[in-house]
Amino acid sequence: MTGAATSSLYHYSDIPVADNCGDSLKFMDYELTSMPSDHNHVRPDGGIDALDPPPMDVMDEETLKPETLAQNAARLETIVQLLNHPALARVYVYVCYWGPVAPPEIMDALDLSKSTTYEYVDQLVDLGLVDRDDSTRPQQLTADPVIIVEQYVPIVITPTVLHALALQEVDEDVEYFMDRYGIGKLIAALRGAGLHFAGKTTQRMVATDIDVRETEAMMIIYALKPALAVGQEHDPFFEYLFPDVHDTMDLPDLDEISGAPARTSADR
Amino acid sequence: MGNDIPFAADQDVLVDANIFYAIGRPSNPQYRRFRSAIQNAGVICKLPQRVIGELGGANTDRVQAALNEGWATIIEAPSPTDGDAVAGSDIARRTIANETEQVEHEVEKTDAILAGLAIQYVRDRETTGVVVLTDDKPAKKGIEKAVRAQGYTDSIAVYGLADIIGDDPGDSMRLI
Repeated sequence: MTGAATSSLYHYSDIPVADNCGDSLKFMDYELTSMPSDHNHVRPDGGIDALDPPPMDVMDEETLKPETLAQNAARLETIVQLLNHPALARVYVYVCYWGPVAPPEIMDALDLSKSTTYEYVDQLVDLGLVDRDDSTRPQQLTADPVIIVEQYVPIVITPTVLHALALQEVDEDVEYFMDRYGIGKLIAALRGAGLHFAGKTTQRMVATDIDVRETEAMMIIYALKPALAVGQEHDPFFEYLFPDVHDTMDLPDLDEISGAPARTSADR
Repeated sequence: MGNDIPFAADQDVLVDANIFYAIGRPSNPQYRRFRSAIQNAGVICKLPQRVIGELGGANTDRVQAALNEGWATIIEAPSPTDGDAVAGSDIARRTIANETEQVEHEVEKTDAILAGLAIQYVRDRETTGVVVLTDDKPAKKGIEKAVRAQGYTDSIAVYGLADIIGDDPGDSMRLI
């Protein structure tokens, strides 16, 4: 995607996603507009330099309106659901990248039972993360990419991050890392892996940066390669995680991998 | 290109730990391709102790598997003391710092030391040649530059994983 989709990246903040999504959580709008100017402060360990404590004017009367808080609470809940349920996140990421897809395709691609597939799809539809078109047979599912960027914590969650998280369902190395270190360090490792494949850091430097054993860093860097390879082409928010190296990573060409998402879905 | 491996049975193959992670778990086709390439060439991967670190824990099981199967072994490579070897490590460190835009003292010692170990190995032994395998690109550049600068290109070759088993044909990666 890197050409077309990244150059149109900022349009997402004011036109298509927000328009399409209405009130549902496809897009966390707070802090997003101020984020690009902070690209220089992304640390090699995946964090983004935090101002500590954040300036008082981060929160204002508008942000703190009870109705605004109530709305965002629902959005936050949705993302928390995904973060806490990697199997659910995996279905979401699949629909997001591979969609439009029908439930039987999800069953086949993800090795899920029919009942599990429909259970997850129903949950994702209820959460407002997946759209179901019942006018065709079989029904077609699509999902808009989500993003949360919060510069002060810092937090960055995009489909690539959810994909990395979801890999623990099928990859023992990601599962091991998550069990031992949790999602915060997984995101840091994801950022480190991207920097490594861009030639900007060695694997041992990543180990030091995120404070894990050298062999653990090596293991997780390779285990996260699928999330980077797909995300680089299909995550419209990839640049939020990798403002500096989004188009310079040396990753496998998806065209040569069977079952990769169709290229056109990147351009939607 | 699996059979067209760039080294011979009488060479010493020094391997960095990352190779064992780049090839994935023993069930991965890349792991099997790499193992066959090594076994077909009649060589044994030599893992310098200070490069592989401490083994133990689930994340090092694939290294242990290779050791058990006999196509890898841990060696106690002497620290670089020879002038060329010490200078080699320094050049590698400078190059890695430059590649990664880090200050030199931020570069992990182990990343640079493989260059020195390889040169020391050649100095200490009557060896036909040494092959260094690493899949870490900045580290590889550092070692290559050190070998060139110190004039060991005839006796030390530096390769990445793709040089041994070819580019990944895409059957080894589960996308989701």
